[in-house]
Amino acid sequence: MMKKRDNSRAFVFTLVLATILAIVPLPGFLEMIWPFWMALVVIYWSLENPRYMSLGLVFAIGLLLDFLTVSLLGLHALRLVILAYLVLRFRARLRFFPPWQLGLSVLGLLVNDSIILLWINTLVGEPLPPLGYWLPAIFGALIWPLFFIALDRIRSVGRRGVT
Amino acid sequence: MPTGSTGVKTNFFGSGAQTARLMLYGLLAIVLMAIDQRGEYVPRIRSLVGTLIEPIYHLVDWPVRTAESLASGFTTRESLSETNESLRAALLAQEADLLRLQTLVEENRRLRALLEGAGTLVFKTAFAELVRVDLDPFSHQVMINKGAAEGVEVGQAVIDAEGVMGQVEDVQPHMARVRLISDPNHALPVQISRTGLRTVAFGTGETGALILNSVPLEADIREGDLVVTSGLGDRFPGGYPVATISGISRAAGQTFAEVVATPLASLDRGREVLLIVPQFTEEAFIGPLPDEPEQSELLPEGSEP
Repeated sequence: MMKKRDNSRAFVFTLVLATILAIVPLPGFLEMIWPFWMALVVIYWSLENPRYMSLGLVFAIGLLLDFLTVSLLGLHALRLVILAYLVLRFRARLRFFPPWQLGLSVLGLLVNDSIILLWINTLVGEPLPPLGYWLPAIFGALIWPLFFIALDRIRSVGRRGVT
Repeated sequence: MPTGSTGVKTNFFGSGAQTARLMLYGLLAIVLMAIDQRGEYVPRIRSLVGTLIEPIYHLVDWPVRTAESLASGFTTRESLSETNESLRAALLAQEADLLRLQTLVEENRRLRALLEGAGTLVFKTAFAELVRVDLDPFSHQVMINKGAAEGVEVGQAVIDAEGVMGQVEDVQPHMARVRLISDPNHALPVQISRTGLRTVAFGTGETGALILNSVPLEADIREGDLVVTSGLGDRFPGGYPVATISGISRAAGQTFAEVVATPLASLDRGREVLLIVPQFTEEAFIGPLPDEPEQSELLPEGSEP
């Protein structure tokens, strides 16, 4: 299914898109549920083509997001590195999960990510967020199947373009 | 890039090597966060990187802004004339206020002359808009579309029509980053305008609440009192409205009352802001500054000398 010459254009494209989606302004409702798109992109490529996903690269992407969103420097980096590590570590198992189980795993990963974020923000002295804080993780998991299909499509289009 | 030798390794990792790398990067991230939290070095790095990533903000800001202006192009004639009318009414009311203000400025100047005060502070304001990007809500910062090229400087006070918003934290060529007063690390010298009681307003991390500390238990302070900047600390000019008192709890046995105030500025939904440009002059000016015909405005110094 995945040849060695998978295209890197689709990879770069999804990274750029997820970066833009991280800072694009949103109306109130969407902002409440807006998932951490870069996390989904990292999960996807770690599953599908780990040759692209080294922890160093993920760390660098995280730092870029930290600078862009003016978060605590290293926050996105830490979140993404942990995420990529978990996916790469359990990749062999995750890849043979049926879709619903993979979806649950993605939910687990995103919730874990939210816990890390919450933990760090509490350490820094932020007040506890309202319950809606968990919506992006849940919505991210809900959108995952569509997201997966969309990225597969983007990838195949890019590949056809290359050959 | 991605297809380096490290990429190949991840294919067959040795979970040991991978875990070691996780530890390394994790540790690095935590060290960075600790340094950032202490406020050392990182602001300078951010400032440098900020110039590099400014184009990305423009990339996001520009289409959103264009879409908005296109949408506003479709407003009906009727609604336009409606807004025009209400704006006209508002302007009239403000001009009436301004007339009164002018006489006060005049009076203030004469009294100051009697006291043989030195120069008077004149404040010019510059208009800026928020850049249409969403930063981390936990960072309590916003971007505005004026930067070093337009003469913005670090430390300038930023207000909106209702009250104080924050201060310029970092300046890039055509953008600047503003730290909001709701930041838990932000402190603003204020006073209660009714009684003149001086205190400091701290951010809480929520856009709807500031905490005033070291207010004595027996202090004369009521819900609904207006909190204004005191002008101490030399960052913010005095007399600008900041918040209204929304809650006071006087627990017996405590030294200080716990006072919560609600900021007046729309910290989480504003669009337009004003930058305050303080200027020392030998003499007090009445009327607009000669060298700055557009968008300059004369504001009196704060109530406290």
